[in-house]
Amino acid sequence: MALLSPSDDLFDSILMADDRFHVEGYREGFEEGTRQGMIEGRNHGRLHGAKLSAEVSFYHGFALTWKYLLQNSEDVKARKRLKAVESLDGLIQKFPYEDPQYENLQEDMERVRAKFRQVCSLLNVAVDFREYVSGSAGMAF
Amino acid sequence: MKDTLAPVLRLSAHPDSRCWYVAWSPKGSLLASCGGDRAVRIWGKEGDNWECKCVLSDGHQRTVRKVAWSPCGNYLASASFDATTCIWKKKNDDFECLTVLEGHENEVKCVAWAPSGNLLATCSRDKSVWIWEVDEEDEYECVSVVNSHTQDVKHVVWHPTQELLASASYDNKVCIYKEEDDDWECRATLEGHTSTVWSLSFDPEGQRLASCSDDRTVKIWKECTPGDGDGSTDGAWKCVCTLSGFHILFPFLERLKHIKLALATACGDDGVRIFKEDTTADPEQPVFYLSAHMPKAHSQDVNCVAWHPQEAGLLATCSDNGEIAIWNYHSDA
Repeated sequence: MALLSPSDDLFDSILMADDRFHVEGYREGFEEGTRQGMIEGRNHGRLHGAKLSAEVSFYHGFALTWKYLLQNSEDVKARKRLKAVESLDGLIQKFPYEDPQYENLQEDMERVRAKFRQVCSLLNVAVDFREYVSGSAGMAF
Repeated sequence: MKDTLAPVLRLSAHPDSRCWYVAWSPKGSLLASCGGDRAVRIWGKEGDNWECKCVLSDGHQRTVRKVAWSPCGNYLASASFDATTCIWKKKNDDFECLTVLEGHENEVKCVAWAPSGNLLATCSRDKSVWIWEVDEEDEYECVSVVNSHTQDVKHVVWHPTQELLASASYDNKVCIYKEEDDDWECRATLEGHTSTVWSLSFDPEGQRLASCSDDRTVKIWKECTPGDGDGSTDGAWKCVCTLSGFHILFPFLERLKHIKLALATACGDDGVRIFKEDTTADPEQPVFYLSAHMPKAHSQDVNCVAWHPQEAGLLATCSDNGEIAIWNYHSDA
């Protein structure tokens, strides 16, 4: 601030008080907001990342297990099922689900989900895994 | 309008309930209907009348939304709000339930047999389209699940000559699917409707696709050919005609079926309309005109319209009032 004579300064400081406090308050609030936002954003990202990877890993574990169970079977039907399971596994391995900025993330996830449903249908496995995955619902950070 | 649409008969098919769909068997000797009473009824001609030959009432726990005959006429598929699709096999004059296809998460909205008879498609409110394969031992297996729509899928229809599937959805879009490496994928998305697309129909040669929507229009689509010169990519479809202004009242439901050059629509304003193609128009820009109109075909919404597969001009419709009606369309041209 420019040097002012004492009488000017007195009136100025009264008249401009409101404005000054507003600016200071705004700045403080902005910094606090930024801090809070960062924390919330991070939590949000963590939660979503965890959800996605839990889902994908579930499908991956499922696919690997069934691959193991079916691979030694000579049965024609089992071969068909194995092919579908391998296809699911292939889909999972192929897309960069760890990259949140991957532009086709949602699309590829949908494809994996759809493939999973088809594989379940072929294997005659019910898709309701709620009891099994209830453990993951307890995740908190 | 010198073309006429005359009533032939009326049946109280699904009493105290809605009749959602009617389908003629491939030879046209039987008519299958289904409705809110959870039953499928098979009608056959006795002299001049149509009589109920059998009632399939224990296949589903909720409304049966659509029925479809296999190309050979020996099987009937029924899609229900109970999330299952039942496959019935014809045994003499009766039908027995062969198998139940499960997998959809909620209401199955449509089922359709491919002309080859080996493939079946179902679609549901769970936004997915499932493609099933049937082998010589009558075993059904899910070949693909495709999640191309972002909302309820209302209708699926197969191309009459190619292995190509089309679906219509509450998300205002139509998707075209083809098989690639043992998996079915959405190859093209047809955008243009501004509201739910309720129903689709290919013309008998498979050159064009008609779609009808809650936006009160019917659109005709054609596949783009590489030499079109409008920069369209291979496999894309473009809208070549839009019929609007005909369905003045809310067409909550419109059903349409092609036969030769005539298009029939069923509407929520209780009316049935037949459109004919103007043969003098440029095939790249077809023109359709209203040839016949039956304003109060039923006392409530008309849900379905089906042309007889053999007898030209014979048409069946069904309605929210539980009735089936048969009509004769006659055109001088």
